[in-house]
Parts: sequence; structure tokens; C-alpha cells
Amino acid sequence: MVRGALVALILVTFAATALAAPAGPPIRIGGTLALTGPLAPTALLHKIAGEIYVDELNKGNGLLGRPVEWGLLDDQSKPDLTRSLYEKLITVDKVDLLMGPYATSGILAAMGVAQRYQKVFPHHSFGMPHLAKYEMHFPTAAFGPEPNRTVPTTVFDALAATSNPPKTVAIVTSKFSSAQFQSSGAKEVAEKRGLKVVLYLEYEFGNRDWGALAARVKDANPDFLWIGVLGLDGNQMLEAMKKLDYTPPRHFHLFPAPGPLALAPDAKNALSVTVFEEHPPFMSNAGAAKLVPLFRERATKANVPYPYVETQVAGSWAAWQCLEAAVTATKSLDDKVLAQWLKKNRVDTIIGKLRFDGPNNYGDDLFRVKQVQDGKWVVVWPREFAAPGARLLPP
Amino acid sequence: MRQAIGLLAAGLILAMLPLVGLPAFYESFLYLVFHWVALATSWSLLSGYAGYFSFGHGAFFGAGMYTVATLTAGLGAPFLAALPVAAVVATLLSLGIGAVVFRVKRLRGELFGLLTLAITFVLATIVLNTRLDGGPGVYLSNVPLPRLVASPTGTFYLLALGLAVLTLAAAYTITSSRLGLGLFAIHDDEDVAEVEGVPTFAYKLVAFALSAGIAGVAGGIHAMYVSYLTVPDTFSITVPLYVVLMSVLGGARHWLGPAVGAALITASLYAFTGGQQAILGRAVVAFVLILIVLLLPEGLVPAVLRRARGQRGRAADVAVAPILAAAGARTEAPATLDCRDVWRAFGGIQALRGVSLSVAPGEIVALVGPNGSGKTTLINVISGHHAADRGRVELGAATLTGRPAHEIAGLGVSRTYQIPRPFAHFSALDNVALAATFGSARCAPAEARAEARAWLEFTGLGRRAAALPHELNLHERKFLELARALAGRPRVILLDEVLSGLNPGEIASAVHLIRQIRERGVAILFVEHLMRAVLELSDRVVVLNEGEVIAAGGPREAMRAARVIEVYLGKAHVA
Repeated sequence: MVRGALVALILVTFAATALAAPAGPPIRIGGTLALTGPLAPTALLHKIAGEIYVDELNKGNGLLGRPVEWGLLDDQSKPDLTRSLYEKLITVDKVDLLMGPYATSGILAAMGVAQRYQKVFPHHSFGMPHLAKYEMHFPTAAFGPEPNRTVPTTVFDALAATSNPPKTVAIVTSKFSSAQFQSSGAKEVAEKRGLKVVLYLEYEFGNRDWGALAARVKDANPDFLWIGVLGLDGNQMLEAMKKLDYTPPRHFHLFPAPGPLALAPDAKNALSVTVFEEHPPFMSNAGAAKLVPLFRERATKANVPYPYVETQVAGSWAAWQCLEAAVTATKSLDDKVLAQWLKKNRVDTIIGKLRFDGPNNYGDDLFRVKQVQDGKWVVVWPREFAAPGARLLPP
Repeated sequence: MRQAIGLLAAGLILAMLPLVGLPAFYESFLYLVFHWVALATSWSLLSGYAGYFSFGHGAFFGAGMYTVATLTAGLGAPFLAALPVAAVVATLLSLGIGAVVFRVKRLRGELFGLLTLAITFVLATIVLNTRLDGGPGVYLSNVPLPRLVASPTGTFYLLALGLAVLTLAAAYTITSSRLGLGLFAIHDDEDVAEVEGVPTFAYKLVAFALSAGIAGVAGGIHAMYVSYLTVPDTFSITVPLYVVLMSVLGGARHWLGPAVGAALITASLYAFTGGQQAILGRAVVAFVLILIVLLLPEGLVPAVLRRARGQRGRAADVAVAPILAAAGARTEAPATLDCRDVWRAFGGIQALRGVSLSVAPGEIVALVGPNGSGKTTLINVISGHHAADRGRVELGAATLTGRPAHEIAGLGVSRTYQIPRPFAHFSALDNVALAATFGSARCAPAEARAEARAWLEFTGLGRRAAALPHELNLHERKFLELARALAGRPRVILLDEVLSGLNPGEIASAVHLIRQIRERGVAILFVEHLMRAVLELSDRVVVLNEGEVIAAGGPREAMRAARVIEVYLGKAHVA
């Protein structure tokens, strides 16, 4: 009886502690996102993910028992403004911790500031690993240190495992820095694997003339088309090819707008890469079960056209997870202490276990191959990450 | 002078800011303010002052950025050594463009704007498709930044401050110089400016080069500031749009206007960066800017200055009767105007067919004939507005044929227009002072204004010196044309229907004035339909029909010629 009461008391005490509202002065985490300007549609996903994360933290114990405040500023999609706003966050607002902005140019601009003030700098959407030299930056866009080699390798491995692997490849890519970087890598990887690159074309960011590109692809008639796309480029390219009565047997899209491509009638069996999709085994990753319904609810309210968790949202969530893990494990807000811990430990995140002990703090390439099947994205490669029953569909 | 000292003092005080130990953000924020001050002010040197609206400032800015990136990251040059090269590259680019574009008359206004925008895209394409970038961008974080002060933000701040002060000093100097006066005249009416003696091509080129050079330096500094350059970011529409907006907001024709606009708009960028109100905030800022631009079209600085000065100097009284005053003037050596076998065609229409005439010093020759007979074309050819296809025009020993209009004005040829074409944003005094500055008189600014006042008095417009042209009636505008023509101290004056539209009293005044001009030894060629004035004033008459001289001689003799009566008069005017 007494023993039972004691257990009950301990449980109640523990529960009370565990559920205690965070108290004390808030821990202030500062960052910017492109809430306005051309990058705003995608940055909105990061905003929603971050807000959910901070809300969930504060519903629990906060960080170190203290509430968390996210000081989010609008960098207006401008790298120069991003830089000065991070200076404001550090030197005027004197935030405790930083969270990175959205997209490569802004991240580089902010990284220089973080470096000057020796602040831990987690970020979630950086596409040029070889340019990130700061020892205390922690990327959760898990490309690995050489995405120009590893991402195409994963894709070509997936294709090689099919019954009818491609022998010829056409590569058409935007000159947008990260897309061009990986696409030029794809050319090298394909050639090394003995595939014949029958066409390599680069188009300018913001291109609207898809007809000429489509005609070149049709003439080349490749077994596999790699499109180094951004946003809706892939949809427009497919439409242009359709007007020429041509559909490539297999087509891969590097950084597509996931919703519009999945729903496009011409995009049947389109391929891309991802670090997270809303199906097993990813749903077993840390935090996935919590994030997916909350994100769908908030993203739907915010009129996000594709309110599902995938690469951008998951990368953002993982960045917050890394920050929380380091603070919780070290019980510290000291940037150097946090950085040391992150360099030495793996963090269990929604996109898998992240490590930062490789070149330029990059760990493993966690990108998997996904395919549009029945109007939805499903991971098809590597097999252990494929959706239940899913496999890469042949042409 | 007081403004120049104030500018220098402000620059020196602001240069002390890094010593105060403010948080780095403020240096960074002020860096961006001064960065935009330099860019917007430099844009206005051509586009604000001369009215050549350029959407190509991003091209020169981008040229500066990529020059510094290539020299520092690519070739290992020191940053500060790369900056002057950035200026040179941008300047040469503008000179190359300007040398071609400024020679083509139809490339004015919106066509110039579109062309400069296209140049930005062309340059972006070149950078994107060559080793200057090639697509992945250029990374500058490894380029060492010289420390002018302890912090990098302080260094950037001082660089931008220095550039902004120099740019403002240049703008101030230009606006109070011959160059500025000429650019403002080009803004209002380029053809008239050229005929008044403004070397329009050279002035535009100088303004364009200076504007581009400053943009190149600003780009070079900014390349280091952002440390990662990509073509889409560098050559985006942001720079050209912002500099236009800033200049229009502050006042593009005032040396300080773009700087005020730049400071306000840059500050507004920071006013609503909070995550929750970002979109609403930017909408509010945009709305306020639209309101200001609509309500104060000339810009904030000119509007504020106008209010501060009140209405002083704007005499409303109209002086109709001319008040003759002696314009204290150097007298140019008299010379005879000689046209020999002058031909000019416009497409298939032969406007002049071998016209020959001469006007001696102190002589008044009337040029008459039916509409379309070639009278105004001949004046345009003499003044250099049109080139002759064949034949020669000489003034004394000097050949006018083949010379640009501003050189012809400098040699002593002045003209008026049938429909007055004063510079719309110039007061009556400034309209006349411009001619005194650029005509054969070549007066210094202070002297030019004194000269202008004298000629305004001479033409009876003394009390209207501060009035803008739209505030003058037709008679006053005609006399303003006359005062402007006289202020150049011409040896030949070409009067194109100066009496048309005037009432009898005004005509009498004008006739009196023209006689007084003749007494100064000036050769006068005047186009006129008013036969009474022709007979009263002219020593000789030349009658044109379909581009040919059909009669010449004394007024009565010429008017009696049968051919003249047949094609022009319809009846004998002289009994």
C-alpha cells in the first residue's frame, strides 16, 4: 500500500516536473527568413516548421526549463539585408542562439556574420557544401560533402537496379548555382558509369523558352533525362515536350516544386530526391509523427498548396532538433560548447541520424530517390527506404 | 559653398562613428544607407539631371561587382587595388554604350530606358556564360578585407561613407557648374540646348561615365560585403528599380534629393522586418511611397525647399512695354552670314534647292514665302539643327557647314523658335543665363546671370525673371526667346516668326526691339508672314518657294515681282 502510494507520488512528481511550464527569462533564438520577395513561398514552409517547433518546445519544458522565443526577421530575399539583420540579432538584440535563413546566398551572407561572432550556426537549405568553411556551421540539408557525386550516384544506382537500365542520358540544367553544381556532377558520374551523355544543356535561371530545349531533348532521344530544375521548370519542360509529341522514357527533377509536379498529368513516374516523405520508414524517425499532422493543419490554414512534410520542412525541423539536442545534452548556451557537442555526436532527427564530423561539417548524404506514383511521391530507392510495396516503376 | 562645407563636416563627423563603439549592426545599416546614397545619387547624374532614364544602373553595378570578384578571388589582387579597376571597367562600358547610343536621336526617353535594361540582361548573359561566373557564383569570403578600423563592418561603413560623400560632392559641384546647367537643359529640350551652345553629346557622355564609374565602385565594395555573388542576385531588377524610386522620391534634379530618398527607403526596409508584420509592413511602406510620389512629383527635397523659401522672387506683375536697358556687353566682331547653294532633303521631299543668300552685319534680311517653302528648314540648317546635304554656310571666315549646333552657337549664331521652346524647369532668368553661358559670350555663372538680367530688362521681362515659362503669356515667351537669343551675344540672329500671335502694340514693341538689335551690328535673318513688319524692318527680302529663291532684293522691289505675287502674295502688297 505504502509502496504503491510512493510510486504514485513519484509518478505524479515526475509528471508534474515533466509537464511544468518553462519558467525564467526566455532563451532567444534569432534568425531571418525570406518572408517577402521571390524566395517567400518556400521560406514560408520553414517559418511554419519553426513556429511549430518552438510552440511544441514551450508546451513542454522549453529549453533548459526556460521558455523559447524565436526572433524571426524578414530578410526580404536579399543577402545584403540578411547579413545586416544577423548583425542586428547578434549585436543589438543579443540573441542567445541563431537559426539560419533560407537558401544558399542568404545562408552564406549570414554565415560570415556568425563566423565573425563565433556563433553556432545551424541551417537547413544550403546547396553548396564546398563553400561552407565555417567550423561552427551545422547543415541539415543532408547532401553530404560531395552532392555533385553522391546524389547522382544514388539516382543512377536506382536506375541500374531496374530491369531496363538506361544507356543514354540527356542532362538539361538551370544555371542556378546548386542545380548546376549537381547536374554537372551528374554528367561526370554518368560518364564514369559508362552511360553515354547524348546531350548536356544549361539554361538561364528564369528561362521561359522551353520549346527549343524540348526540341533538343527530343532529337537526342535519351533513355533518361536529368533535369536540373528549380520550382516549376520541370512542369514547363514536360509541357513543352508534350507539344512536340514527345515524352522522355524516364525523367528526373532535381529541385522541383513537389506538389505541382506530383499532380501534373505529364509527370507520371517522374523521379526526384528527398530526405523525407510521409510514409514508413520515415514516419518512424524522431519527431515525424508529431510534425506531420501539425504541419498539415497549419500549412492548410496558411494556404500552402502542398501541405505535406518533405525535404524543405523536414530539413528545417531537423535543424531545430539539432539545436535542441545540443542545448539539452550540454545544458549550455555557450556556442563553443554546443559546437563541440554537435561535432562529436550524432543527432537523431526526422531525416535520420545526422553527423557533422565530415569535410566542412557535412556527414552522410541522406537523399533518397522518390517517384510520382498515382499522383503522390513515394520513395523507391534505396529499397530499405522505399514505401511499403513501392518499387521504381519502369517506363 | 555653405552646403559644400556642411557636406564635408557631416562626412568627417560620420567618419568618427566607428570610434564610438556602437554595435556592428548600426555600422552595417549605415553602410547600406550610404551604399544606396552613392548608387541613387550617381544614377541621377545622368538620369535625373539630363532626363535620360536609365534602367541599366544594375549593369555598371554588376560590372563593378564582378570586376572585384574576378580580380580578388580569381587573380589574387588586393581588394583596394581592385576597386579603381571596377570604376574603370564600368566607366569604359558606359563610354562604349554612350558613344553609340547618344548619337542616335531616336534613342531618347523610354527607348533609352529599354536599351539600358537590355544591356543589363546582355551583360548578365555574358557573365553567366563565361568564366567570370559560369553559373555557380563567385565566393569572396576568403578574400582578405583591409582593416581601416578594428571591425569589418566599420571598414565597410567607412568605404561606403567615403564613396557617398565623394558622390554627393560631385553631384553638388555638377549642379552648380556649366555641366549641370547643360544637363538640366538637355532634360528639358535637348535640341534647343544643343542650338543654345550646350555640347550635349559630350555632356551626356561625361555624366554617364561618372554615373557608371561610381556605380562600379559601389558594386565593387558590395561584392565584398555580400561575399557571394550570383548572376541572378547581381543583375536583378532591384538596383535599377531602387535607384529610380529613391531618386524620384527625394527629387532627382536636386543634388541632395536621391540621398534623402535613399536614406528613407533603406530605413523603411528595416522598419518592418519583424516576422509577424513583414508583409503588411512592406505594403504600408509601398503605399506611403506611392502617396509621396503622387503628391510631390518633383520629390521631397525640392518640395521642402520650395515651402521653406515661400513664394519669394516670383513677381507676378506683367511688364508688357519693353524697358530698354543697355546690356553691358562685349561686342563680337561683326561678320557676314553667307549661304551658298544649300540643299536639304527629307526622304523624297526636297526642302531646299540650292538656296544662296547673305546677311551683312547690321543688316535685316526678311525670309518670306508660303508655308512649306523651306524658310524654317534654312534656319535649321544655318543653326546646325539639320545638316545640309550640299552647299556651304559661312559666318565670316568660319565655315558652319558640318559643325555641330553647339559649335555654331559658339561662333555667334542665335535663333528663336516659331513656337517658343523655353526650358520648362528653368526660370526666365535661368533660360537666358544658359544662353549667356553657352553662346558665344561664354560667360562665367555669375557674369551670365548679370548678363541675363540685363537682357531681360532689355526685352521688358525684368520683373518676370523668377517666373517659370508656363507662367508667362505668349508675348512674354516670345520675348524670352528673344532675350535668350541675344544673351549669346550673337553675330547673327535668326528670328523665326517672332511676331506671330502678337497684338499690334506688342508688334510695335518687338519691331522697336529688333531695330535696336540691328544697331548693335548684329546680322538679322528673320522669317515673317506679317508683311507690314517685313516692309518696315527689312533692308532686303529673300522669297522662297518650294525650296528655291524666287526673288531677292529691296523689300518693295521683291514684293512686286510677278512670281512672288503669283505664288505667295496673291496681290501686290506694295502699291
